[in-house]
Amino acid sequence: MNATLRLARAEFRKLFTTLAVPVAAALAAVLTVGSVLIDAAVAGKPGQYALGSAEETYKMLKFGPVVVVAMLILGILAAGGEFRHRTIVPALLATPQRARVFAVKVAVIALFGAVFAAVIFGLGLGTVAGVLAAHGFHHLPAATGRMYLGTVIAGACFGMIGVAVGALTRNTVVAIVAAVGWALFVEVITLGTVAPSLAKWLPVGASIGLTNPPAAGVLAPAAAGAVLAGYAVAMLAVASRTTIRRDVG
Amino acid sequence: MSVISVSHLTKRYGQVLAVDDLSFDVHPGKVTGFLGPNGAGKTTTLKILLGLAAPTSGSATIGGAEYRRLPDPMRQVGAALDSDTFHPGRSASQHLKVTATAAGIPHRRVGEVLDQVGLAGAAGRRVGGYSLGMRQRLSLASALLGDPGVLILDEPLNGLDPEGIHWMRGLLRSFAADGRTVLVSSHLLTEVAQTVDEVIVLAKGRLMAETTLADLTERSSVTRARTTDATRLADVLLAAGIQVRVVDGTTVEARGTDGDTIGLAAASAGLPILELSRHDEGLETLFFEMVNDRPEAAA
Repeated sequence: MNATLRLARAEFRKLFTTLAVPVAAALAAVLTVGSVLIDAAVAGKPGQYALGSAEETYKMLKFGPVVVVAMLILGILAAGGEFRHRTIVPALLATPQRARVFAVKVAVIALFGAVFAAVIFGLGLGTVAGVLAAHGFHHLPAATGRMYLGTVIAGACFGMIGVAVGALTRNTVVAIVAAVGWALFVEVITLGTVAPSLAKWLPVGASIGLTNPPAAGVLAPAAAGAVLAGYAVAMLAVASRTTIRRDVG
Repeated sequence: MSVISVSHLTKRYGQVLAVDDLSFDVHPGKVTGFLGPNGAGKTTTLKILLGLAAPTSGSATIGGAEYRRLPDPMRQVGAALDSDTFHPGRSASQHLKVTATAAGIPHRRVGEVLDQVGLAGAAGRRVGGYSLGMRQRLSLASALLGDPGVLILDEPLNGLDPEGIHWMRGLLRSFAADGRTVLVSSHLLTEVAQTVDEVIVLAKGRLMAETTLADLTERSSVTRARTTDATRLADVLLAAGIQVRVVDGTTVEARGTDGDTIGLAAASAGLPILELSRHDEGLETLFFEMVNDRPEAAA
């Protein structure tokens, strides 16, 4: 088996031999299903869209935040955790070509992020379809497929962004607090309120264009995907330079 | 022919000179001790040798090649730098399988090496619950995974109980007896002295000695002579190439020589010998003098 494939198998083995992935998956599943059930429970009440309406269904299908935060954290742990626990030492003793180690880790996390997003969105979509069917609604709005694809792409991109942040900071706690803090408090709450025309060009703002239904003030999906991918590539380029050159151990 | 070759190696971290123009060779079929106090530059040297750090200048090769250019590094070199390179949430078996997968080593080796280091019974337990000695053994197991011809261990005796130290000594000696190359670093000379054949002594990033343990042991014995003019006697002995130290106005101490030689040197200078005695200062004292810049000890 060639060296790159062996590395990829080792990276997948790393992902599935700690508690991070099962815990993240369980939490994401609970939040996804829970959010659908809560939305369904309050639908039709004063100030809420009616159950079965396109607006309400789109609201129920917004699984982007769960996927984005989960993959950001898992990406940080995948890279930053290697430095925190110093498993980077045996990794580089087995494969001293650092560029290959970094590239394979990024590729594996991106693939995992896409699959993770697909599974979580699929779980949420199934729950939405079940809830709607139980109330006599048997159709989904037109942008559902596009939101599904957009969430998969966002999952892959935020996994890669997480790897870059984890590799750059090498301190998982600082990285997670800073990254989630930036995403929630800086982008969503602050800039999203006071400067939405700027916020839509930042990573989380761009992901809204991918994972949400069409709306004014967000980027079109193709532009959103390009912007998000651009952030991932740029951050990975910086992270790879420092990772490849730094002394370790 | 040397297997490990370090040539004019220098490493700076900003203003700090961690390794200073270091050169030495390590040969197969022997256990070589890489000795020095904490902060001497041993671990930095090993990291450069294993491709984990870049040198400022100079080279460090294994089998004539840098570690990153070895075609199958883990099958050629087994390294254990410390016992703290494991994810606490993984078991020993899982950790070794990750490494074996990346290195292309069959997974059956995982069970074999865990058995070899005495961790077969704890293979499924999370490493977070291991004692220091168990983590040390796991580190060694990881180094043995590829059944390498070169073993490089940094402070392998740390955390081992007396039985573990005895076991480790036997393992290292059998490794060398097989014709393989063993480089063991330590700051504890007395423990390593029972295991090694050759020693490389480092202090403040510089080479202080590269010799056999037998030579080092001989150098640890000191002949003390009392005469009427210690300074003149010291000059005569130095001119004869003998390491000597003036203790006070009437007493000198010389290493690596005997009473006959000192007596003849004193006679040639017309100096009487009032007292002559020989005692073994012990390797530890010699080592202490060496690494604290006592040139007569290092020469």
